[in-house]
Amino acid sequence: MVTREEILDIALLAKLSVDEEKLDELTKQMMDIIAFADTINAYEGQTGEFDNINGLSNVFREDTVVASYPREQILKNVDGGENGFFPVKKKM
Amino acid sequence: MKPVSKIKRLHAQMTAGELSCRELTQRYIDAIGRENGELNAYVLQTAQTALDTADAVDAKLRAGQPISMLEGIPMTLKDNISTDGIATTCCSKILQGYTPIYDATVWQTLKHENAVLLGKTNMDEFAMGSSCETSFYGAAGNPHHPDHVPGGSSGGVAAAVAANIAVYGLGSDTGGSIRQPASFCGVVGLKPTYGAVSRYGLIAYASSLDQIGPITASVEDAALVFDAISGKDEMDSTCTGARETTADQLTGEIRGLKIGVAKEYFDGIRQPTVKDALQKALQHFQSLGAQIVPFDLPILKYALPVYYILACAEASSNLGRYDGIRYGYRTAHYNGTHDMICKTRSEGFGAEVQRRILLGTYVLSSGYYDAYYKKAQNLRGTIVGAFHNAFTGCDVILAPTVPMTAFEKGFTAQDAVETYLTDICTVPVNIAGLPAVSIPCGADENGLPIGMQLIGNSFCEAVILNAAYSYEQTADAFIACDRGVR
Repeated sequence: MVTREEILDIALLAKLSVDEEKLDELTKQMMDIIAFADTINAYEGQTGEFDNINGLSNVFREDTVVASYPREQILKNVDGGENGFFPVKKKM
Repeated sequence: MKPVSKIKRLHAQMTAGELSCRELTQRYIDAIGRENGELNAYVLQTAQTALDTADAVDAKLRAGQPISMLEGIPMTLKDNISTDGIATTCCSKILQGYTPIYDATVWQTLKHENAVLLGKTNMDEFAMGSSCETSFYGAAGNPHHPDHVPGGSSGGVAAAVAANIAVYGLGSDTGGSIRQPASFCGVVGLKPTYGAVSRYGLIAYASSLDQIGPITASVEDAALVFDAISGKDEMDSTCTGARETTADQLTGEIRGLKIGVAKEYFDGIRQPTVKDALQKALQHFQSLGAQIVPFDLPILKYALPVYYILACAEASSNLGRYDGIRYGYRTAHYNGTHDMICKTRSEGFGAEVQRRILLGTYVLSSGYYDAYYKKAQNLRGTIVGAFHNAFTGCDVILAPTVPMTAFEKGFTAQDAVETYLTDICTVPVNIAGLPAVSIPCGADENGLPIGMQLIGNSFCEAVILNAAYSYEQTADAFIACDRGVR
């Protein structure tokens, strides 16, 4: 069972806005999906700890400095940026 | 109809001087122009890039230089594979206007071989879907029946290959997104072992499940492309590369091969014609000398909820980067940074992506982590163990790819959970990190293709591809689609 309030809390964590008029429908959809996810709790067998599929532990390499992308290239996706930075509106 | 390697045939024609690469490329560009209005397989066409590459290949041929097998072959990439200087949007509003500044390793490899990129193909938004209908660019159509979906999420690649408006393409498979559309469109789709192909530059959905692989018109083509793109990559620490090449191991000889059959895979089949096709395929394999080994896999019923919990948890983390600050869409009106990020994400992500982010955030949140995420992660280990155990008694596992043929457009909008259930046969492979290939094995009463998948043990792509090849070359079960370049 998931409530409207829980959906709003989760949305806040996920940085999503939920319109009031869509909240009831979304809550019902999430109840169905979570009930479906909940079916794993019917499993009564033993399970061990599982980490990752390749059996990899931490993958380390030498910490060597290599060339990065030029700033102007990185800022291409925000029309070149402003003064070499990503622009956002002033918050005052 | 017995498919032959289209790549080999075109390579032979180009090297013999019977066909120039520009002529071949222009034929595909023209075919896209004729077909794409109905299919919406391509969301971006790169005709000039394709022709420039074709001219470079022709120059090499004129100079008497040798060309590699994939050189000059017109192909496509799913729109979540990064291409330096070419827009890559995951078919999402939130990545509108985004142009990567680097290539995915797979594309870097193919570009180095002068692969002719025709364009980027349609997909479910952020690879979350089974129908290609959640794309910001609108739904793609199935070349066999355009009112039906091509499957998803790599539906655009599968539709393009089936309609012969690309020789081959690369898709990505997180829970079946290569195999399911390959099944729906009647083509070959290979999901490699996790770690066989680099994920660097693949825009992440669920990093522990994602894998790039080929969609092709024949098994041999799948093997040729897999051999080209697999390999260790220092940019992806989980990528160890393939253990062996596959195209040189396609003998078609499978006498003594043990094919495992778990009834749990067949219980959910919704169409009698799909069950009949699978039964006939099993009989055909027996006639070729394979041995059928029945076994139980009861843990399979937990695979789907495990998948959705883990995939959505990883997605909620991976998609946290879309904040409207550094690239892509940004809301027009906002009051402060938090408001900007929330509005950007809510306006930029579609409904299905938002549902999955919410589920992922829920299962990772305090109070629910142990009951959902941790339990699912540990059950994943149990599923991995069950498959490893199964492979002590068989060489490959045969299963339906999807319990049904391509559904009509609009089906997925009705019920999210009902739609998730169509992934029942494909997700276990991703959970266990195994390789699997989907190949056509007949058609239903409406002429829509039926697919079967052959699942192998880790890094045994050569075994499943050879089994698929033996079937393809002897069963006459491929479904022709008279479209595109002829």
